[in-house]
Amino acid sequence: MSFEDWLRADRLPHIWCSGCSNGTILNCTMAAVDMMDWDPDRTVVVSGIGCSSRAAGYVEADSLHTTHGRALAFATGVKLAEPSLNVVVFTGDGDLAAIGGNHFIHACRRNIDLTVVCMNNLIYGMTGGQGSPTTPLGALSTTTPYGAAEPAFDLAALAVAAGANYVARWTSYHVRELEKAVKAGLETPGLSFIEVRAGCPTNYGRKNRIREATDQLEQFRTRSMLKVKYDRLVAEGKPVPHDAIVVGEFVRRSNPAMGVAP
Amino acid sequence: MQGNVASAEGALAAGCRFFGGYPITPSTEVAERMASRMPKAGGVFVQMEDEIASIAAVIGASWTGKKAMTATSGPGFSLMMENLGFAVMTETPLVVVNIQRGGPSTGQPTMSAQGDMLQCRYGSHGDIGIVALAPNSVQEMHDLTVKAFNLAERLRCPAFLMADEHIGHMRERIDLPDTVEVVDRTQLEPGTLPFAAGPGLVPGFPTFGKGHRVHVTGLTHDERGYPATTDPEVHAALVERLVRKVEGARREIADYVVTNPDAEVVFVCYGAPSRAVAQLVADKPDEGIGVLRLRLVWPFPEHALAEFSNATAFIVPEQNLGQIASEVERHTDLPVVPVPKLGGELHTPAELARVYEGVRR
Amino acid sequence: MKLAIDERRCKGCNLCTQVCPYHIFRPGTAANRKGVLVPELDRPERCTNCRLRNLYGRTLCGVCQLTCPDQAIHWQSERPYEPVRIEVEY
Repeated sequence: MSFEDWLRADRLPHIWCSGCSNGTILNCTMAAVDMMDWDPDRTVVVSGIGCSSRAAGYVEADSLHTTHGRALAFATGVKLAEPSLNVVVFTGDGDLAAIGGNHFIHACRRNIDLTVVCMNNLIYGMTGGQGSPTTPLGALSTTTPYGAAEPAFDLAALAVAAGANYVARWTSYHVRELEKAVKAGLETPGLSFIEVRAGCPTNYGRKNRIREATDQLEQFRTRSMLKVKYDRLVAEGKPVPHDAIVVGEFVRRSNPAMGVAP
Repeated sequence: MQGNVASAEGALAAGCRFFGGYPITPSTEVAERMASRMPKAGGVFVQMEDEIASIAAVIGASWTGKKAMTATSGPGFSLMMENLGFAVMTETPLVVVNIQRGGPSTGQPTMSAQGDMLQCRYGSHGDIGIVALAPNSVQEMHDLTVKAFNLAERLRCPAFLMADEHIGHMRERIDLPDTVEVVDRTQLEPGTLPFAAGPGLVPGFPTFGKGHRVHVTGLTHDERGYPATTDPEVHAALVERLVRKVEGARREIADYVVTNPDAEVVFVCYGAPSRAVAQLVADKPDEGIGVLRLRLVWPFPEHALAEFSNATAFIVPEQNLGQIASEVERHTDLPVVPVPKLGGELHTPAELARVYEGVRR
Repeated sequence: MKLAIDERRCKGCNLCTQVCPYHIFRPGTAANRKGVLVPELDRPERCTNCRLRNLYGRTLCGVCQLTCPDQAIHWQSERPYEPVRIEVEY
C-alpha cells in the first residue's frame, strides 16, 4: 500500500486552495500511517473545524468531523471507549490553540494514546484570513490590519509543558522528516503532538508578501533551524534569528499514558 | 436510595458503559456513583475538563458502539448545546441527565427548577428532534433513565432525563429489578448507505471499527455521509428526516398517566410539582380532579389532552414561568392557567387548591 | 516506471518544480481546460524512482509525490518495459 490507498479517491480533488500545505501534510501523515501497517477498518480519524479539519473526510477509514475546537475531546471519548482503535487527530492552529486550547492541554495532561497533527498556518484560513493565536507579532491579517499585536503561542513548547509523550515540529518543506516524526508519534504510547508549519498562500501569504506557494516553501527551507542547533546557540549565548523556525524533536518520553491498547 | 444514584444505577442496567462528566451541583452524585460503579461494570468513567468536553467524549464513545451518557445541570447544559446539535445532526444515541437548578446563569445551585424544559427542546441552533423525560420519584429516576437509553438507541438521537433538584436529591425506597428491557441500536447492514433512512426513518448504525469506513460530519451530508453543504434539497431532506423520525414517533412513544379522565378541571404536570398535585387529589378524593402527568415531555403528547373529553380548563403548575403551559396552549382552545413558581420551593397542595378553586368557579 | 501528473487534480501550485532534485518539473505555460497551468515534465526518465524502483522494490526519493498537495503526481508501470538510454547529469 501507499498513502494514496488511504485516501478516498472519490472525494479528490480536495477543497484546499492551490499551494495549500494541508495536502502535503495529509500525504505525509497517511504515509506514516501506511508504514504502521494499520488496518483501515480499525483506524479512526478525528478532526474539528477549519481547513485542516477537512482532512478527516479524505481518509479512507472511519472519520469523525466534529465541532470547532473539540476534536481532542471527541477523540478522547473514542479512544477511552475503545482503546484497540488507532486514532489520529487532524487539527489547525485556530481549532487547537484558540477555541480548543483547554482540550489540548488536558489531552496532553491525560497523555491519551492519540497522535495529533496540527496544520499550523498562522491564520484562520476557512473564514478568510483572520488572526489566530499563532499569528506572529506584526503579521497582517483581516483582523490585524495594522500587524498582530498579541504574542503568539509556541504550540510545541505548550505540548511539552502540558505532558505529551512525543512532541515534534517540522514544516511542509520537510516531507521525509515529517513522515518519520508522525511515524515516531504513532509508535509512541501516549499523546504525540506533531506541529507542522503550513503555508496558506491565499490568506496568509497574500497579505504578508509570500505571494507564491513556492516562496513560502523557500522560506520554510531557509528559516528552519534544527532544535539541536537552536539549543546550542542559546547555550552559547549566541544570537538566534528572530524569524527562525525551530524544527525537530522536542521531547520523547514514556510517562504514564491513558487509553493504550492492552 | 437517592434520585441521582438511582439514575446512575438505571443507566448501568440499561447497558451504559461510558460516562464522561464534569462536577456540577446538583447532579454530581450521578458522576460520583458512576466513578465507583463503572470500572466494576467493565465500562469507562472519565472526568473531563468541562461540559463541552464531556458531551464530546460521550458522542465519541457512542460511535464506538458503547452506550454513553453524561449528567449535568443548567450552566453545564448550556455549554453542551452546540455538541448536542452535532449529536442530532450525526444521529448519535446518547443520554444527558439534567438535574435542573434555578437559573438563568449560576442562579440557585442547590435549589430546584424546571427552567430548561424549552432549552432541551430548542436550545441548539437549527431544527432538531430530541426526546425528553421527566421523572417524579426516585423509582422513576431509575426507570426513566433506562427508558431514555432505549429511546436514544431506537431513534438515534439525544435523550434527556429532565429531572429537578427535588427529585435528584430525594431519597426513597425503590425496587431495583434484576433485569430491565433493553433496546440496542440497529447496526448498519453491509451494502446500505450509512445515512439513508431505514425503518422509521432511522438509519442503521455504522459502528466505528467494524469496517464501514464511514464519514461522520456535522456538516449537511448526503446519504453516504459526505458533505453536501450547498445543495438545498439535501439539507431540507436531511433536517426534515432528523425531526420527523422523532416527531413521527410521538404517539408510539408517548408516556403519561391519566387520573380522572371525566374531570372538568385538569392539572397538566411533570416532575416534582406532580407530587404536590397528587397530594391535592388525595386530599380531595370527592372532587374528581383530573391529572395528566407527563413522564415523557418531548415530543409533546398533544393527543393526551383529548383524553379529558369533559375538560373545561387546564392548570399547569411548573417550576418556571410557564414553559410547558405555553406548549399546552398551542394544542387546546380551552383556558390554560399556568401556575409558575420560582425560587426553588415546591408548590404546596394548598396553593394548588386555591388555584383549582378559582378555576372551577 | 513512468512519472505522470494527473491534470484532473493538479491546481498548478508549482511546488513540484521546487522540490525535485533533478528539476524534472517546469512551470506550465499553457492553461488547461480548468485554467490551471499544469507543470511540464523535462526528461522525466531522469527520475530516480522511474529508473530504480523496480530494481530496489521500494519508492526512491518520492519527494515530489509527498509534497504535491493535490495528490496529482504518481508513477505508472510501463508494460512492456522499453529500455531507454539516459544521461544523468552530476
